[in-house]
Amino acid sequence: MKRTVSQRVLCLLLTVATLFGALGITVGASNGEYKGENSTAATLEEMQNLVGVTSYEQYLAEYATLAKTPNRKTPIKIFFSTDPDYVYKDGEYNILDFAREWDQNGKQKYTDFIDEKNEQNAVLVKDSPICGPDKDSLGYETWNDFTAEDAATSVYLPSMGTAAWKINITDDDIGMYYIKFTYYSAKTSESSTSSIEKKFLIDDKIPFDEAGRITLDKSWEYDYNSKVTKVEISAAEYSQGKASISYNNPVDEDGGYVKTVVHYERNEYTGKFYRVTTVSSIRSDKNNNSMAPEAVAVPTWSTYTIKDSSGYYTEDFMFFMGKGDHFISLVAERDPVVLKSIELIPVEVFSDSTSSTLKAYSEYRAQHSGKPQGSGEVQLEAEFPDYVSDASVAASNDNTSAGTFPTNHSSQLYNVIGENGYSTVGQWAAYNFYVPTSGMYKISMRFIQNALQGMFVCRTIKIAGKGYTNAGEAAIIPFKEAADLKFNYSKEWQSEFLGDGNGTDFEFYFEAGQKYTLYLECSLGSLKQSIQAVEHSLSIINDCYLQVLQLTGADADENRDYRFDEILPGVLRSFLEQAKALATEKQKLEELCGSNGSHIATLDTIALLLVQMGSDNGDNVAKNMGSLKSYLGTLGTWINNSKQSKIMVDALFIVPSGTEEVPREADAGFWSSLWFEIKSFFASFWVNYDEMGLTGEISEDVQKIDVWLATGRDQSQIWRSMIDANDGYTNSTGTAAALKLVTGGTLLPSILSGKGPDVYIGLGAADVINYAIRGAVRGISGNDPDLSAEDNSQFTTKYYTYRDESSNYTTTTEERTDKGELTFVTKPYSELVLTEKTKSVIEGKEEQVFAEAAVDTVRLLNVAYGIPQTMSFSMMFYRMDVLANLNVGVPETWSDLLSCLPIIQANNMSIGVDYIAALDFMIYQKGGSLWKYTDASKYDPMYAGAKIDLDSDIALEAFEYVCRLYSDYSFPVAYDAANRFRTGEMPILIGGYCALYNQLVVYATEIEGLWEFCSLPGDFRDADGDGIEELHYESLAGVGATVILRGCKGDELRAAWQFVQWNSSADVQATYGNKMVALIGPSAKYEAANLQALEDLSWTASEKLAIRDQMNNMCSIVNYPGSYIYNRYMKFAFLDVVNEGANAKESLLGYIDAINSEITRKREEFKDRGIWYVGKDGQETPIEKS
Amino acid sequence: MSRSKTEAKRPTQRSEMSKWQWTWKEMKRNKTAYFMLAPFLILFIVFTVLPVVLSMILSLTNFDMLNIPDFVGAKNFTRLFLDDEIFILACQNTLIFACITGPVSYILSLLIAWFINELPPKIRAVVTLIFYAPSISGQVYLIWKTLFSSDSYGWVNATLMKWGLQSEAILWFENADYVMPLCIVVALWTSLGTAFLSFIAGLQTIDRSMYEAAAVDGIKNRWQELWYITLPTMRPQLMFGAVLSITQAFGFGAVVDALCGFPSVDYAAHTIMHHLSDYGGQRYEIGYASAIAVILFIIMFGCNIVIKKALSKVGE
Repeated sequence: MKRTVSQRVLCLLLTVATLFGALGITVGASNGEYKGENSTAATLEEMQNLVGVTSYEQYLAEYATLAKTPNRKTPIKIFFSTDPDYVYKDGEYNILDFAREWDQNGKQKYTDFIDEKNEQNAVLVKDSPICGPDKDSLGYETWNDFTAEDAATSVYLPSMGTAAWKINITDDDIGMYYIKFTYYSAKTSESSTSSIEKKFLIDDKIPFDEAGRITLDKSWEYDYNSKVTKVEISAAEYSQGKASISYNNPVDEDGGYVKTVVHYERNEYTGKFYRVTTVSSIRSDKNNNSMAPEAVAVPTWSTYTIKDSSGYYTEDFMFFMGKGDHFISLVAERDPVVLKSIELIPVEVFSDSTSSTLKAYSEYRAQHSGKPQGSGEVQLEAEFPDYVSDASVAASNDNTSAGTFPTNHSSQLYNVIGENGYSTVGQWAAYNFYVPTSGMYKISMRFIQNALQGMFVCRTIKIAGKGYTNAGEAAIIPFKEAADLKFNYSKEWQSEFLGDGNGTDFEFYFEAGQKYTLYLECSLGSLKQSIQAVEHSLSIINDCYLQVLQLTGADADENRDYRFDEILPGVLRSFLEQAKALATEKQKLEELCGSNGSHIATLDTIALLLVQMGSDNGDNVAKNMGSLKSYLGTLGTWINNSKQSKIMVDALFIVPSGTEEVPREADAGFWSSLWFEIKSFFASFWVNYDEMGLTGEISEDVQKIDVWLATGRDQSQIWRSMIDANDGYTNSTGTAAALKLVTGGTLLPSILSGKGPDVYIGLGAADVINYAIRGAVRGISGNDPDLSAEDNSQFTTKYYTYRDESSNYTTTTEERTDKGELTFVTKPYSELVLTEKTKSVIEGKEEQVFAEAAVDTVRLLNVAYGIPQTMSFSMMFYRMDVLANLNVGVPETWSDLLSCLPIIQANNMSIGVDYIAALDFMIYQKGGSLWKYTDASKYDPMYAGAKIDLDSDIALEAFEYVCRLYSDYSFPVAYDAANRFRTGEMPILIGGYCALYNQLVVYATEIEGLWEFCSLPGDFRDADGDGIEELHYESLAGVGATVILRGCKGDELRAAWQFVQWNSSADVQATYGNKMVALIGPSAKYEAANLQALEDLSWTASEKLAIRDQMNNMCSIVNYPGSYIYNRYMKFAFLDVVNEGANAKESLLGYIDAINSEITRKREEFKDRGIWYVGKDGQETPIEKS
Repeated sequence: MSRSKTEAKRPTQRSEMSKWQWTWKEMKRNKTAYFMLAPFLILFIVFTVLPVVLSMILSLTNFDMLNIPDFVGAKNFTRLFLDDEIFILACQNTLIFACITGPVSYILSLLIAWFINELPPKIRAVVTLIFYAPSISGQVYLIWKTLFSSDSYGWVNATLMKWGLQSEAILWFENADYVMPLCIVVALWTSLGTAFLSFIAGLQTIDRSMYEAAAVDGIKNRWQELWYITLPTMRPQLMFGAVLSITQAFGFGAVVDALCGFPSVDYAAHTIMHHLSDYGGQRYEIGYASAIAVILFIIMFGCNIVIKKALSKVGE
C-alpha cells in the first residue's frame, strides 16, 4: 500500500488540528504514561514514525542532489561467520559482526548496537543465531543444499527480534545502492506457511514507505507422489531419444490424473546415458473427484533485491548511502530465515532509472535469426505446476467448458489453475519442460479472463534454463515485452499465442535435451501507473474528506455556509485537481483497453462528483459529503479489483514457430458443448456435491464414523484432504471418516430421528450445553452418567506424572531428566488438555492447550462435553495514522480511553465499542462474575448456576460503567464499524479480532499497514490482595466446539474420540488454519481455540503477541440451564438507560427476579439430571435424584 | 338372468347403503376428480393437516426435541394462562397488532383496489404493480431498517439531525416507544398483497349490466352501488382476502425479528408468534410452544368464523 503524500497530508492535518486548538490539549492526556511492561500496542512514537514516512518518489527527490554513482564498482558485502574473534574485512570496510561476545551463560552479547528505545522488542538476534553455541538444536544437518560451511557462514534470524549490521561509508562510496539478500528459507519449528516478512530499517528508520516491509519468498511444490525411474541407455538411444510430457485422461480411469515426463540425461562425470521417467499424479476419490495435493515448502537458497512488492515499480529500489557509519537492521515480522549475506550493489546509472534495461523483442529475435524452426509439441497442463510462489496458487476444477482438459460432466477433476489465488502481483506458477529439437518455438495458452470487465490482466513470462540463466540462477524475463503480456476480457474461453497483441507472436529459442522452467507471474503491466495514480488520488481525497469532516461533523448541515473557500481552500483545489487526475486516468485506461467498460466508468462518476464539490466556492461540499463517503469506498474497491489480475489457465503449449493453428481450440464446438451441458444437467440430479464422503471404497471391517460440519465447501474440502493426507487421521488410526456438509439446523432433528452423525464440528458452546443437558451430547471427561463404565474408560488415557523437587508435571512423553521420578498415571484426556497446564518434561515449559475460559463454556458441572475448536473474542483496533495526527496514544485502560475522548470528539470522531460484548466482559474486568458461586461451589450441582450475580455491587458497577459510556460519553450505539474505521472517523474500535481483521484486510486495503490491534483496555485493581494493582483486561470468549453425539457407542465411540483428539490437536488446527489462508486468501484467518496452534498460524509475530496476550486474559459465560435469559434482560436494561435515561442500577435490578425465576423454572425441568434447584420459597431445596 | 340377479343384490339406492358405502361408491364414480385432487390433497394432509394435529397432541406433552415426549395433560395450558406474564403481554401485543393491521390493511386493500379499478387499463397495470411490489419482493422490508437505522448516518436519523430536531441518533428499532408503531407501519406497507390482487380481480368480474339494472331500480349514489352491488358480487374474494389478512396479522413475526432483533426491546413488539419461537427455538420446550400454537390456531379460527358471519351481512 502506498501513501505517496503522507507527509504533505500530515502537515495539512496538523494544520487543521492546530486550527481547532486540538493540539494544545492533547499532550499529556494519554501519552502512554500507563504503558505496562508487556503491552503489545504500538507507542505513540512508533505510530508517529510510521506516519512520517516518505514515499519512494519523495525519497528519490530528497536525495536527487546527493545521488551519484559510487566510485567503487564492487558490492559492499556483509558476511556472517562463526569465529568470534574474526572480523571480516572486505577491502577497507570494517564489517562489524555483533555475534562475537558471549556472556557467562553462553548466550551472546550484543555490544555495538543497542536500541535502547526498543529494548523490549528484543534488540537483535540474541536468542539463537545459528552461528551461536546452540546451532545444533536447529538440526541444519538434515537441510537440503545446506552444508556445514553454510552453517558456519550464515546467521539464523528467528521469527522475533531485530538484527542489525554496521557499515562504514567512505568518501569514495557515497552514492546510490541496490540492496540484495542471499537467504535460505529454512524450515524450523518457527516456520509457518506464509512467506518470510521483515521490517527493513536504515539507521533505525524506514528509508521510505515502500521499503518498510520486505517479503522474502519461499518456493512451494505440490506433492504429486512422484516416482522417478532412471534407466541406463546406449549413446545411440540417447541421441535418438526425444523428451516428452504426456497426460492420461483421468475421466474414466482409476488412480487419478497422471503426468508422465520422459527426458534423457548424460552424466557429465561418468559419461553414462540415462532415460529418466517421472510419473506424478493428482489422486482422485472414489467418485473420481480430484483431491488437492499437499503443498510443501521447499527450503532453497534464493536471493532477493529490495523492490516494490505492490508491483508499481519494476526496477529495484535504490538507497542512498551518505558518508559515515550506518546501521542496516532487519526486524522480524513473520517466519525465521537463514541469512548468508547482504550486498550493497552500486547503482551504475541512476539518473534515468525508470528506463528498462531489458532488451526489446526485436533485438532478442535478431539474436536468434538463423535458428531453425522447432518440432513436436509440448503440452503443459496448467493444473500441474512444478513450483508455485505460495500454496494459494492451486489447481481447481472448472466445468464451464467442454473444451477444457480433463473434463467430466459428473466429477470434479482438476483442470485449471487460478480460480482462487494466483491474482496478486508477484504470485507465480512454474512449469518444467524439455523440447524435442533445438529451435524456435511459440507458446500458446488457453485461458479465461472474465473478472475485469472491459480491461485486461497481465502476466510476466520468465524463463530459466540454458541460454537464459546459468544453473542455480533465478529465472529472467527474456525480453521487455514478456514482462507485460496482456490478456483481454471475454466471457468465453480464449486460446491464443503469446504475442504483442498486434499480430506478432513471440518466438523463443529452446535447446533440445535441456531443462527449461517457464514462470507465469502475476503483474500489473501497463496498468500500474494508472492504479498508482488512482491510489494517490484516493489518499488525497480521503484526507480532504477527513478535513471537511473535522469541520462539519458526521452530519454536515447543507444549509449552513461553512465558508469552505476561506477555511479550506486547499481542499476545494484538491477536489478539482483530483477530478482532473481521475478523468485523465480514465482516458488513459480507455486508450489502453480499447473499450470503456463499467469498471473504468466508475472513475468518471467519481470525478464528476469531485468537480461538483470543488466548484461554486464549496457550496456543494456539505450536501455531497454522504456521496463522497460512499464513493471513497467505491474507489477503494476499484483499486482492489484492478490489482486483482485474475485469470484461469487451462494449458500452455509450446509449439514450433511456424504453427498457425492453436493446439487447443477455445471452444469445444457447438455439438460437443451441447452434449456436455445436457450430461452435466442430468448428472446434477444424482451427484451430491456436498457429500465429502470417503476417498475410496472401504472394506467391511474398517471402522467408519460420520462427521458433520456446517461451514463452507472450501472448509470441508480442506478437512477432507487433511483426513486423507499421508499423516492424516485415516492413515494414523486406520479409521475412515465420512464428511458431510450440512446446514445449521439439521443437527437437532437428526439426533431425534437417530440419523445423526457421530461427530459434529463447530457447535456453539450454548448449544453444546443445551444438547448435553438433554443427553444428546457425550461427555468426554470419562464421567458421563449416561455412558457405560467401559465407554467412559475410553476417555481415559495413560499419562505420566513427573515429579521433581520443585513441582509436579503431567506429560504425554516418557522422557525424563536426571532429577526426579516418573510415575505412570491414568487420567482423562480432557483433564489434561482442558484443565491442567501441561508441561513438557524436557523443555520444562508450561503449555496451556486451551484457555480456561473457553473450556468453561463447554463444561456442565464437572463433565466436559466437547473440545473447543474456535474461540472468538473482542480486541481493540486502532488507526495509527489518525491517532498519531491527533497526538493520542493507544489507551491501555478505560480511563485512558475516556481521557482521550475529548480530543477525538473535538475532531468529530468517535470510539466504537460493541455494547453487547462490553456488558459481559466489563463484569469480569471489574472482578465480578455472572453466577453466584464461590470457587468451592463451582461444581456443586446445588449452587452452580442457580442464581445470577448481576445484583452484586461489582456487576451493577460494571453495568453502570458501560451504560455511562453511551449515555454520558455519547459513544455511538449503532455504527457501521468497518466503514467508519476505514474513513478514520472511528480511530479506535473494539470488535471481534478475527472477523474484523478478515473484513478489513479485503475491504479496506487502502489503509493497510495503518492499523493494528491490541488487547482491550482494562482496569487497574488489586485482585490478589498483595497491595499492588494489576491491569485486568479480560475479553469474552465465544466458543465453537467439536462434540460427540448420542448414539455413538463402543468401537464407534473410540473412533469418534480419536477423531476429536486428532481434530483438536495443535498441529491439525494450525494446518487447517494455514490451508484456509492458502486457499481463500488472507481474509480467511482462522480463530483456533487451541492456544498452541496460534504459534503456527500465519499471523505476524507482533499480531501473535497481541492475540496471545488477550488469549491469556479471557473470561466467558458459563452456560447453565436458563442462561439464555440474562442476556436479553441485560440488553433491555441497557436500552432503557440509553433510550429513556433510566437509572442504570435500578433498571438492571428490576430484571433480577425475572432472570432468577426463569433459571429456577429451567432447573426444575432438569432436576432428574442431577441438577438441584432453588425452590420458589427461596429455600434451597435439594431435589432427590429419581 | 344370473347377472341381473347379482345386480339386484347390490344396493343401488342411497337409502339402501350405509354412509361409507355411499361415499365409496361416489368416490369410485368420481375417481378422475379424486385423482386430479390427489397431489394437492396428499401434500396438504402431510404438510398442513398432520402438523396441526401433531402440535395439538404435542401441546399435551413435555417435549424437548431430543428425547421422547412425556404426557403432562393440560399443564402447558394452565401455565400459559396462569403463570406466564409474557404470554399475556404477547397476546395483548398480537391483538393490538391484529386489530390495527388486519382491518386497516383489509379496508385499505379494498379501497385502493376500488380506486385503481376506475383507472384506464394500462395505467391500472402499472399502479397495481407499484402497490403489489412490496409484498412480492421478499425481504424488501429491510429497506425500513436502512431508513430507520440506529446509526447516526441512517436516513431518518441523519435528516432529523440535519434539521436540528434531534441532537443524537435515535435507536428506532431498539426503543420501546417506537418499535410497535414502526412495525405496524411496515406491516401495512407490505400487506397490500394477494388480498389486494384478488379484490382487483373480483372487481373486474362484475357484470356492468348489473349496475345499469341497479340504476333502473333506483340506486342513488356510488356508496349504494358499492354496498348493494359491488361488494355482494365479490363476496368470495372478500372472504379470501379476509382470511389472508387475519393469518398475516396474527402470523406477523419474521419481519419484526429482522427489524427489531429477537426478542424486541422490553418485549414491545413481542407477539404470540415470537413467544412461540422463543420457547420452541431457544428454550427447547416444544410441548409448551405447541400449546401456544394451538391457542393461536384457535384465535385465528374464531376470527375466521366471526369474519364469515360479518361478511354474510354485506349488502343487507
